Amino acid sequence: MNVIETSELGKRYRRGWALRDCTLTIPGGHIVALVGPNGAGKTTLLTMAVGLTRPTAGTLTVLGGEPPGSPGALDHIGFVAQDAPLYRNLPVADMLHLARNLNRRWDQRRAEDRLGQLEIPLRQKVGELSGGQKAQLALTIALARRPALLVLDEPLAALDPVAREDFLASVVGAAEDDGVSVVLSSHVLAELERVCTFLVVLARGQVRVSGPVRELLASHGAGLEEIALRHLRAGIPSSRTEAGQ
Amino acid sequence: MTARTIAADAGPAVRRRPVPWSKLAWVTLRQRRGLLIGGGILLGVFAVYMVIMAVIQNNAYATVAACHPAGALKCQDLARTFSRTYWGGGAGPVIASGGAQTVSSLLFAIPVLLGAFAGAPLLARELESGTFRFAWTQGAGRTRWTVSTLALPAIILVAVTGAFTAIFWWYFRPFLADGQVSEMLPLGFALLGVAFAAWTLLAYSLASFLGTLFRRTLPAMAVTLVGYIALAMATATAIRPHYAAPVTVQGWNNGAAWVISQWVKAPDGQVLNQQALGGLAQHLPPSVQNSPSPDAFTNWLTQHGYTLWQSVQPNSRFWQFQLTEGAWLLAVSALLIAATVWLVRRRGA
Repeated sequence: MNVIETSELGKRYRRGWALRDCTLTIPGGHIVALVGPNGAGKTTLLTMAVGLTRPTAGTLTVLGGEPPGSPGALDHIGFVAQDAPLYRNLPVADMLHLARNLNRRWDQRRAEDRLGQLEIPLRQKVGELSGGQKAQLALTIALARRPALLVLDEPLAALDPVAREDFLASVVGAAEDDGVSVVLSSHVLAELERVCTFLVVLARGQVRVSGPVRELLASHGAGLEEIALRHLRAGIPSSRTEAGQ
Repeated sequence: MTARTIAADAGPAVRRRPVPWSKLAWVTLRQRRGLLIGGGILLGVFAVYMVIMAVIQNNAYATVAACHPAGALKCQDLARTFSRTYWGGGAGPVIASGGAQTVSSLLFAIPVLLGAFAGAPLLARELESGTFRFAWTQGAGRTRWTVSTLALPAIILVAVTGAFTAIFWWYFRPFLADGQVSEMLPLGFALLGVAFAAWTLLAYSLASFLGTLFRRTLPAMAVTLVGYIALAMATATAIRPHYAAPVTVQGWNNGAAWVISQWVKAPDGQVLNQQALGGLAQHLPPSVQNSPSPDAFTNWLTQHGYTLWQSVQPNSRFWQFQLTEGAWLLAVSALLIAATVWLVRRRGA
C-alpha cells in the first residue's frame, strides 16, 4: 500500500506556486525523510496529504487510494503540525481527554504510559511544558490514535539537541513496534539521515529525488547528504528515481 | 529496516459510526469553560439583582394598583411617587438607583456583548494560534467539529437569554401596566418576547462568521459591535414599522400603541406642515401660550376645529411583530452560521 501517492500535484497560493508537477509515490512501512530548503513546498505537500488544504492541480491520495481529509483518511493519519499546536490553557490530562473525544480510535493506556515514561505530569498545563515535552505530548496524542501513517511537519525545528534525540528515538520506536509508516519533514537532512529509510528531496516546489535510502546509496555511491546536495544543486528533477518501486 | 506490512486493522476500508455528538459537546464545553464560568457568574449576579428588583417593584406597584378610585388625588400621587422612585430612579432606595429606565437602556447592550464575546473567538482563536491544524485533522473531521463548536454555545445563549426575558417580563410588569413603557416601543420590544434571544443569536452568529473571515478575534468583535448597532437601529426605525400597515387613528392620546407619526389637519381638511403649525403656535392667545398644562395647545386646536391624527402600531400586534422579527433574525443567523461552516470547509492551512 502506498501511504502517499501524487500525480502532477500542484498548489498555488496568491504569491505563486508552492508546489508544481509533483509526482511522487511513497510506499508504506518506511520512515520517510522529506527534505528541502525553506519554501521548497514541504509543508504544502504535507498539509494537502492530511486534508487541511486542497490541491490546485493534479491528484493526491493517501493510504492506498483514500482522498485526503475523508473520514477513512482522518481516522488513520496522525498529524503533528509545525510547532506542535495544542491547547495551551488545558492541563495535559484534559488535552488527552479532548483528543480522545475527537477520535474513534484511541488508546488511553498507551498515551498515559508514554507520558509516564517521559515524566510529563498530567496536571501540568500544556502551555507550561518545555518545547521537548510539548512535542512529545503531540506525538503521544498522534500515536494514541493508532495511526497507519504518522505525518510530522518539521518536528525537530524547535527542539534542543537532547530533545531531538529523544524525539527521534520515540518515532523510530513507534515505527518499529507498531509498524506505523512515518513521514517527517526537515530542512536539515543530517537530522534524519540516521533514521530514515526513504528519502524525498524537494526544492522550489518540485521533487528532485525520491527513493528508498538503500537503493539511492547503491546507485549513487555517495553519502545521503551528498546525494541530496547534488540533486539540489543540479536543479533538475531526477525524474525516474522512484521508478524501481 | 525493510518495508513492514501494515497492521491488519489499519486499512481505512472499515467504515464506523462517526464520533458521537456527546463527545464533541464535551470538547466544545471544555474549551469554553472559562467563558462559561465567567459569563455564568456575571449573568447570575445580574439575574439576582433583576429578580430582587422585580419583587420590590411588583410589591410597590400592588399598592398603586389597589388604590381606589384611580382618579383620586391620593392615588395619582401614589402613582407619581412609584414612577419617580422606580422608573426615573429619583429618590428611591440605593438599590434602585438609576431606575428601570436606565436599567432597560443598559439591557440593550447585553445581546451584542454576549454574542461578540462568545462568538468571535470560537474559530478566530483556533486560526490565530494554529490549533485548527490539530482540531481539523482529528478523526471527527472538521465539519462535525465546526458544527459542534458553533451549535452548542448558540443553544446555551438562546436558553440563557430566553430565561432572562422571563425575568424582564416580571421586572417590567408594573411599568407596562402603568403605561410607562409600551411593549411595542423599541425600548420594550427588544427586551421582551423572542426578540432578546433572537438578537443575541444574531450577534453571536455575526461574530463567529467575522472571526472566521478575519482570522482575528478583536477585529471581529469590533466589527460585530458596529454592524450590530447599525442593524438594530435600522430595524427599530426603518424595518420594524413595516411588518404590518400602520393604523391611522384620531387623537394624540393612543396609549396602548407605538406611534409612528402624527399630524394635524386644519378645519378645511388640509394637513398642516411643520411651518404652518409653528406659525399657529406663535399666534395663540396669551392664556394658552402661558398655560402650564402640556395639553393646552392641543386642547386649543381641537376647540377650534382642528383634528389630531396618528399613525400607530397597536399593542395588540406585539406577538405578530415579535414572531416576524424573530423569524427573520433566525433566518439571517442560520445563514451566517452556514456561511461560517462553508468558510471552514474551504479554508486551507
